[in-house]
Amino acid sequence: MSPPDTQAPAHDSPERGRGQVVLGTVGTTPTAARVAQLIHMYRLSDPMLSELGLEALLVELLDRAKEALRADTAAILILDDEGEALVAQAARGLEEEVEQGVRIPLGGGFAGRIAAERVPIFIADVNHADILNPILREKGVRSLLGAPLIVEGRVIGVMHVGTLKPRQFDDEDAALLQLAAGRAAPAIERARLFDALDHEHRSAVALQRSLLPERLPEVAGLDVAARYLPATDEVGGDWYDVIELPGGMIGLAIGDVAGHGVRAAALMGQLRTGLRAYALEGQPPGETLKRLDRLLQSIRGRGMATAAYALFSLETGSLRIASAGHPPPVLVSATGEASLIELVTAPPLGTLPYPMHQELEMSLGPGETILMYTDGLIERRGEALTAGLERLRAAVSVVASAEEICQGVIDTLVPALGSPDDVAVVALRNAPIELDMRLRLPADPQVLAQVRQMLRRWLRSKGAAADEIAAITLACGEACANAIEHAYAPRGASFELEAIHAAGLVTLSVRDKGSWRPPRGQHRGRGLQMIEATVDEVDVRATTDGTEILMRRRLAS
Amino acid sequence: MTLPLADVTFSADGDVVVASLRGEIDLSNAGELGDAIGRQLTNEALALVLDLTEVEYLDSSGIHLIYELHDRLRDRGQDIRVVIAPGAVIGEALRLADVPRAVGAAESVEAALTSLRE
Repeated sequence: MSPPDTQAPAHDSPERGRGQVVLGTVGTTPTAARVAQLIHMYRLSDPMLSELGLEALLVELLDRAKEALRADTAAILILDDEGEALVAQAARGLEEEVEQGVRIPLGGGFAGRIAAERVPIFIADVNHADILNPILREKGVRSLLGAPLIVEGRVIGVMHVGTLKPRQFDDEDAALLQLAAGRAAPAIERARLFDALDHEHRSAVALQRSLLPERLPEVAGLDVAARYLPATDEVGGDWYDVIELPGGMIGLAIGDVAGHGVRAAALMGQLRTGLRAYALEGQPPGETLKRLDRLLQSIRGRGMATAAYALFSLETGSLRIASAGHPPPVLVSATGEASLIELVTAPPLGTLPYPMHQELEMSLGPGETILMYTDGLIERRGEALTAGLERLRAAVSVVASAEEICQGVIDTLVPALGSPDDVAVVALRNAPIELDMRLRLPADPQVLAQVRQMLRRWLRSKGAAADEIAAITLACGEACANAIEHAYAPRGASFELEAIHAAGLVTLSVRDKGSWRPPRGQHRGRGLQMIEATVDEVDVRATTDGTEILMRRRLAS
Repeated sequence: MTLPLADVTFSADGDVVVASLRGEIDLSNAGELGDAIGRQLTNEALALVLDLTEVEYLDSSGIHLIYELHDRLRDRGQDIRVVIAPGAVIGEALRLADVPRAVGAAESVEAALTSLRE
């Protein structure tokens, strides 16, 4: 029965299979010759190893085991999730094993048998043994010693060492490898679990981040900021959005999908996209939430969510808000007094059929801020919700920019070590309107819409009537368009706009570094004609390096 | 992300193309809006109704666009009507540029279609 190549070093070990010898576990007292190896073995249980990630840990363990056993190769195979095969996870001197993703079925070959039989196995001569992994032969490995990796009675993998010259591994070698395996296994399992958890957490956080706005719109007169903080151990379904809409309208959204993890984050992504789509269609807040509710009801395995959506007009400062079970937004006055905005909220999204979504109409004047947030900001275990709301109200009672308000509430209300629930905040401040308007703008037609928006807002603050705003905006738009068309620098050209209001008289000045181009073609050159017809007085004059268009119009009021 | 300042939707009423503009028209988008409308004007079309009912702002670039369309259609023997809603904010600019008289205007798409078929 005994194959000719099988040495019998372990007199007490029964033979198992062709070319393989199973070694018994021995607990001998180390001889002096083994002291150095024991030091190596101690290094295998070095607490520092647990600081390493799984990959680095395995490589370090293999190097130490290889050194301790004076071997040429070392490898660790880990049982796959199905428990059907061993997959090469790390190798030294046999790196191809990992690169090629070698898989050994449980019970088959050298490693497969170690795992199945849960005992160390010694192979004196690979050439005559039942070896499934061709890389061992290709690399010229002659002798192998392997031991199972066992955690709490469960085999999680196999660790083996090999030599390129024939080697008689004995009981002490086997005991050393088992010791190494015994020390390595829990560390591997911990690192593996941590890696898996960490990986899932990191992918979930990455997913969550990818579903939130990459950057907020930059609109003149609009001061907007937001923050998202993931929960300490799990991602959640909080989101915020700032949506730039036509006509100087800005949509401000916040929401919170119930639950945690990747599913909540994914549903959040659907709801954020849905809300944005309805908002872009120009739906008012109540209708937007109604449609979002319908969308959520249509999603299989749906969840529930709270959300609030506010629609703000930059020009008029009007603000319309609707809420579906969401915590009340905070209004911060221009002088820094904060109050909760009392809303009639609909039930949370996805909970009741045919909900009614009422809107609150209010005004957000220059210098005033609205702050929306998710409950993670105010909720503390064992504390009444009103206490959290009061803490929030106190934290935002400041005269500050949207950015400072967001940072302030995070600093004040979120524990330094993170919150157990995720937190989203978004703040929008109707920027204070300057007494006079002075702008330096790039000579790009794309800025025209923004200039009109700012001018309308400024004119309104000066008490101009709707028809006066339209007329002055047209005149200014023409002058700016002219400056843009005639700016002579091919790149980086700019123009200046100045608007002054004194004693009922609006004076606008547009300066560029070009010359007023005489009208060309049959229909060109209507710009100046438009300006002349819409303001009381217009003066086009050459400056040292360009042209200035000066326009005056007296306001009726 | 910035939304387009304006949008145009097309419909056909028999052999008349109706182009409905909305939003704000200025130097930044008049050219591409003109191109988009031009692409819908086949030789078979009888006329174009340019519906400006939902246009909130229109500067001389927009006026230029209207006159260009007018010239192009006239050269091909096609007709044009500009729809200017009563009391529209942009009505004043269009009247200053003489659009109602020189190009032809109506107060609604229906009135424009009727006048084209008279």
